Amino acid sequence: MELKIYNVSKTYPNGVAALKNVSLSIPNGMYGLLGPNGAGKSTLMRILATLQDPSEGTLHLGDVDMLNCKDEVRKTLGYLPQEFGLYPKATAENLLDYFAVLKGFPEKRSRREVVESLLKKVNLWDARRQKLGGYSGGMRQRFGIAVALLGNPKLLIVDEPTAGLDPTERVRFLNLLSELGENSVVLLSTHIVEDVSELCTNMAIINKGEILLQTQPLTAMNALRGKIWRLMIEKSGLPEIERNYQVISTKLFSGKTVVHVYSDIQPGNGFDRVEPDLEDVYFSTMTGLMGNDVRKQEAAQ
Amino acid sequence: MIFRQIFRYEFGYQLNSLSTWIYFIVAFMFPFWFSEIVRPNDDTVYINSPSFLVLATVFTGVIWLLTAGTIAGHAAARDVQTRMYPLLYTTSVSKWEYLGGRFTAALLLNALIHLVIPVGFFLGYYLRKEHPGQVGPFRLEAFLSTYFYLSLPLAFYVTACQFSVAVVQRKAIAALLASFLLFPILSQLIGYSVATWLDTLELYKSMDLTGMSVIKDIVTWTPYEQNNRFIQLSGALLWNRLIWLAIAILLLAYSYHRFTFTHQAEKSVRRIKRQKAEAEVAVTNIPAPDSGSIVLWAPSFDRSARLSQLLEITWSSFRYIAGSKTGLTLVSLFAIHLVIFAGEYLKEKGVPQYATTMNVLPMLTAPLTNINTGLVIIPMLIVFFAGELIWRERESNLNRISDTMPVSEWGLFLGKFLGLVLVIGLWMGFLLLAGIVIQLINGHAPVALGVFIKVLFGIQFLNYLLFAMLVMAVHALVNHKYLGHLAVLMVYLYIVFSEKLGIEHNLLIYGSDPGWSYTDMRGFGPFITPLIWYKAYWIGWALLLAVVGRLFLVRNMPEGVRERVQHLKKRFTRSTALTALAGLVIVLFTGSYIYYNTNVLNEYVSSEEWIKKQAEYEINYRKYLNRPQPRVSGTKVKVELYPRERKAGIQGTYKLVNLTQAPIDTICLDTKPGVETSNIRFNLPAQTVVDDPYHGFSIYKLAKPLLPGDSIQMDFEVAWQSKGFKNSGMDVAVIENGTYFINYERLPTIGYNLNRELRTDLDRKEWELSEWKLPSLYDPDSRQVRPGQELVSFEAIVGTDEGQTAIAPGNLVREWKERGRSYFHYATSGPIRNTFSIFSARYKKYASVWKDTISGTNQDVKLSIFYHPEHAENIDRITRSVQASLPYFTRKFGPYPHDHLTIIERSGPDGFLNAEPTAIDYGEPFVLLNQKGNPQALDVVFFAIAHEVAHQWFGTGQVIPALSEGAHVMSESLANFSGLQVVEEAYGAEQVGLLLQMWRDDYEVPRMWYMNSLLQANDPFLGYRKGVMALYALTHYTHQEAINNALRQLVIRHGSGKPPLANTLDLYRELKAVTPDSLHTLLSDYFEKNLYWQMKTDQVYAEPIDAKNWKVTLKVKAKKYIIDSTGADITQPLNDWIEIGVFASAVATAEAGEKPLYLQKHKLTKEETTITVQVSEKPSKAGIDPNYLLFDLFLDDNQKQVKIGVEKTQGRKLVN
Repeated sequence: MELKIYNVSKTYPNGVAALKNVSLSIPNGMYGLLGPNGAGKSTLMRILATLQDPSEGTLHLGDVDMLNCKDEVRKTLGYLPQEFGLYPKATAENLLDYFAVLKGFPEKRSRREVVESLLKKVNLWDARRQKLGGYSGGMRQRFGIAVALLGNPKLLIVDEPTAGLDPTERVRFLNLLSELGENSVVLLSTHIVEDVSELCTNMAIINKGEILLQTQPLTAMNALRGKIWRLMIEKSGLPEIERNYQVISTKLFSGKTVVHVYSDIQPGNGFDRVEPDLEDVYFSTMTGLMGNDVRKQEAAQ
Repeated sequence: MIFRQIFRYEFGYQLNSLSTWIYFIVAFMFPFWFSEIVRPNDDTVYINSPSFLVLATVFTGVIWLLTAGTIAGHAAARDVQTRMYPLLYTTSVSKWEYLGGRFTAALLLNALIHLVIPVGFFLGYYLRKEHPGQVGPFRLEAFLSTYFYLSLPLAFYVTACQFSVAVVQRKAIAALLASFLLFPILSQLIGYSVATWLDTLELYKSMDLTGMSVIKDIVTWTPYEQNNRFIQLSGALLWNRLIWLAIAILLLAYSYHRFTFTHQAEKSVRRIKRQKAEAEVAVTNIPAPDSGSIVLWAPSFDRSARLSQLLEITWSSFRYIAGSKTGLTLVSLFAIHLVIFAGEYLKEKGVPQYATTMNVLPMLTAPLTNINTGLVIIPMLIVFFAGELIWRERESNLNRISDTMPVSEWGLFLGKFLGLVLVIGLWMGFLLLAGIVIQLINGHAPVALGVFIKVLFGIQFLNYLLFAMLVMAVHALVNHKYLGHLAVLMVYLYIVFSEKLGIEHNLLIYGSDPGWSYTDMRGFGPFITPLIWYKAYWIGWALLLAVVGRLFLVRNMPEGVRERVQHLKKRFTRSTALTALAGLVIVLFTGSYIYYNTNVLNEYVSSEEWIKKQAEYEINYRKYLNRPQPRVSGTKVKVELYPRERKAGIQGTYKLVNLTQAPIDTICLDTKPGVETSNIRFNLPAQTVVDDPYHGFSIYKLAKPLLPGDSIQMDFEVAWQSKGFKNSGMDVAVIENGTYFINYERLPTIGYNLNRELRTDLDRKEWELSEWKLPSLYDPDSRQVRPGQELVSFEAIVGTDEGQTAIAPGNLVREWKERGRSYFHYATSGPIRNTFSIFSARYKKYASVWKDTISGTNQDVKLSIFYHPEHAENIDRITRSVQASLPYFTRKFGPYPHDHLTIIERSGPDGFLNAEPTAIDYGEPFVLLNQKGNPQALDVVFFAIAHEVAHQWFGTGQVIPALSEGAHVMSESLANFSGLQVVEEAYGAEQVGLLLQMWRDDYEVPRMWYMNSLLQANDPFLGYRKGVMALYALTHYTHQEAINNALRQLVIRHGSGKPPLANTLDLYRELKAVTPDSLHTLLSDYFEKNLYWQMKTDQVYAEPIDAKNWKVTLKVKAKKYIIDSTGADITQPLNDWIEIGVFASAVATAEAGEKPLYLQKHKLTKEETTITVQVSEKPSKAGIDPNYLLFDLFLDDNQKQVKIGVEKTQGRKLVN
């Protein structure tokens, strides 16, 4: 099963172009969609989750035309939105049971088993009789994934799932995700680079509605090997460094500023070569040193 | 400063919202077009008069109240709902600034919306320039008084209530719910039922929120007042405003107290603690991931799975409503209220009725369009919950998940609809239970479970379902919760007021039907068939609406119109297309069948065309009104009734005599609409000159003029058959059981028919016809015999289905069976007035005889009562009344001129009684009065029958009044006065007291205080109420026998029924003859003027003279005044004998049989008088006019408790 996104654009009535000509090919397994806030990730996710229609372009899940056979898609879709609410007065068990019926489990016995196994899976079994209004952020998120996992979806879309979670919850959640994605397409959108590096075998970087890079984390990191240099400076020295070098990211560490610079050669005194990580890939792409923009420039030359 | 900032921001924010503007537009548009919906019944009232502005303001105010809750609601709860509150609550804003600023902004917006009402109202007349003749000057005071006494207070109270509830509930929609609770439930339903229960309209006035009671007051104003008077902030209205002000301030204070700048804390503290603890356990105690894999069952999406989805959504929606605070409680409370107040609901003229099925059904059911019933909460709840269901997921933000579920829009939309349907079903169950309990408690009639189920679950349930589907579809389409509610209200108002908007055909009014009724005699009668067709038709539309709902249901992110239209194509799947097609086929098929029935089989006449027809009739033929015509002197009819086929055929013969002094060569004939009149033949050569079946008028010219005294015979045939059904109402003249019709509605009459003339001033003006008036008392032509008043010898042969009894006036000469039909031959012994009815039903007969041993004729009068076998309860009472009335009237007024009197039960839901020569008929509800169970109550049955028997002397038989002013007094006042005496003779003073009380109560019913004099009486009130009160009072000033003698003289002089017919002048002459000159002023005050007295006892104190005797001093006030057509009081000089009474008991009145210690008439000439009298027992109560003989609008202050020895105002011991 493969998810194929071809030339998808979305322009909102107010003129904002959220997606421009996006084409992606997403195989089975975990796929990370990385991008800053407002890059168009959620729009793409909503389009994939049948909640919105693109202005142009086509989407296919296997053989299914996702735009014209929404009901077919929904049968095999799991969606965990970035933001969602729950009926505060319902209990987890009840609401999950309700969704289970909607997801195609009319038979009571099988449904109960499914609900039970999912609640156990997301570790909400002990809290199943609690009102959802009293759930913490992590519990809500886990309940959301339980709903998304109902019916063993072929396409699982998880939109910024770790955004509001504490470190423990985040680990717990990523563990849960890592078990999936063997037989289905799992699309994880996030602005947290670690989420992708820890989980995904394939990824894309998106900004301002355009796909900047479509790659595998390891390949991308390999491509950067030897080109990322680090310098630790006082904050006041930053403007000068920025003027002279291709700075891709800055970070604070113990009150000093750590600068990562992109350069094919040793840029100069004090610069240490570092083993590139996915964050370097991300920032290099965002600064236009990697990915489509580079290729376009090369093509132009 | 912060307050101002919060206020300004809120005000600006809401002003930027579309819905706010829509409320402004609605507040403008309704008053702007108001005169299209409502017009004053009197065309001298300007359509921009102050009173009309009040009407428009109240009307628009109610619409605003029921829809614009969002303004206050959002001001109160937006921060919580948008979850922005953490940002705001943590600033340095104080509670006062925050709530105050928000509230003030909402209040100002609402006040501005109300300000738009008068703007729209006044602009409407200047811009639209409709009805220019009815536009008066602009009155600034009208605007000011209405806005500041009605609109602004309303805006404040309602905003305060909505705001408070929304603050406490932390939900904007709570404001809308608050409005629903405020207006229909608190202000109307509870206010009204408590007020009627306690029998005080004043209480209702002080509960009324919107100004409905002000409208009830305005009804009593004269046209002049309606044009010139402004509402005053005094009396009940002032109290009302103060009470609501207090409520509003209390609510605001409460919500201020409850409000905290904290995180949502709606549950009790303990529960929150517990939940928190649980939550912490769950969060902190994270075990290692469950290594077991997820149980994998393959989901299925086959038919049964789809059905399960639908049921699950249905069940979830049902639980949501049933679990909410108002979901089941309101209707169940209403059902309980019905049971508790059943006695009040069933009360008719102070006497409860037996809870038979036909009496209980109107409590449990009402057409959707009836907004004057407590049942209106059902459509309102439907509207509210439909909105909640459609918005349920979106409001709790669950839609992002739920919208991606593999459920079709059908499942989502229909599931919610069915959830609501289940709730409605439960509501119907509550009502069903109420009906059963009422019947069980009442114990008279068997519980009509089958009928209740048919009506509640057949008719009502279906009506509500149709409405629910409409509401859900509108909500899905509009896609804005509050505007959706507004749109639904507009649609509802359209349904309710469609007729006023000129849309009359039921095919165009959603959910409508031609109406139905259930009575014990008729059952459902012929109403069910059309009902089924109409409902099938609307089910077709409901299917189409379901398609609309499915197509437009929003299931995605917020969308623009363009995207929604794009979805249409994709959603228009095969199943949708098939459903739409099915709906369309049903609509077309049933619609055509209905149209065929209403417009092809039956003539469809719009009210506009009907008015045109009437106007043309008058324009073309009024010239024949006083054209000399031969008069009917003999009527013979052969009537064939076919109850099962609902058809009838009549062959009739009139004998016409020229009673004028000149030859007559033309005969004018008025034929009736709805029947086929044919084969008109004269036994002398005649030629048709005018034949106008459309208007129902024809003229024949005799070859040879009919000479004075000569006669001519006219034969005719009349037939009708009820074919299918009509647009509105059903012809129930001939039905399966309970056939009834009256001759002048079916058979041709001679001459121009005055009854056909248009009466409504506005309609007449449109057709340039002069104002309609009863013929003047002083017009000699008015004393002519009109059709229906001729004295005829009467004979009828009526054939009907076997098993039924057919009845006509006269003695039953012969009865036989022929070809499976029953025939009855009736003939009267002497001439009767030419007004008669024909009845046929499966009657039971009760016969008795009264022998006239009083007048010396020794005549046997045969009494027959024909009644529905199940309605036997009061037959003995009816008999007793007739047996008491006939001898009494014979003694007082002369003999009963016939040898039989027939009393017939008429089928149908109307209870009124009707007297015709030798016959009396009453409607079914009349005979269901539970007199036996309420011996203390007025014996309405006894009195009403006595009243109708009296008509055999006055009004129907013997003294036949001229059709002119005063006719109501001539028949109804005299019949009431006569009936009163029979009650007095049979029961004594107590019942007389109750009867007088009932009549007096009607004085307080809202009505215009300006009226014609009794002599020129032109409305039923004067005839049924004021006239009899005047006659009764006269018996206290002279004595009863004097008045009876006057009436006897009237019978002697005018009892032949021959022209010139008697009018009130004749009555007045007889009354003058029997009263001393000293009373002629009083007589003139009673009969010639619209005069009222205002009497009051200020103080009464008594002191003992010796061991036995007491000296009683009364300070009384009295004045009298005429109310003229401008509504102004014109004080009249006082020079009247007025009763002063002293009583030993504090409770009993003189009427209740208590002997007064003192009762004398004193001549009062000054406004204030002090009177001292001596009594021989300790007095307890005393006052002026204790028997209420003079017309006083305020009776409560006539008497006072006696203070012993102490003068109240000075508070000192009286020293003698």
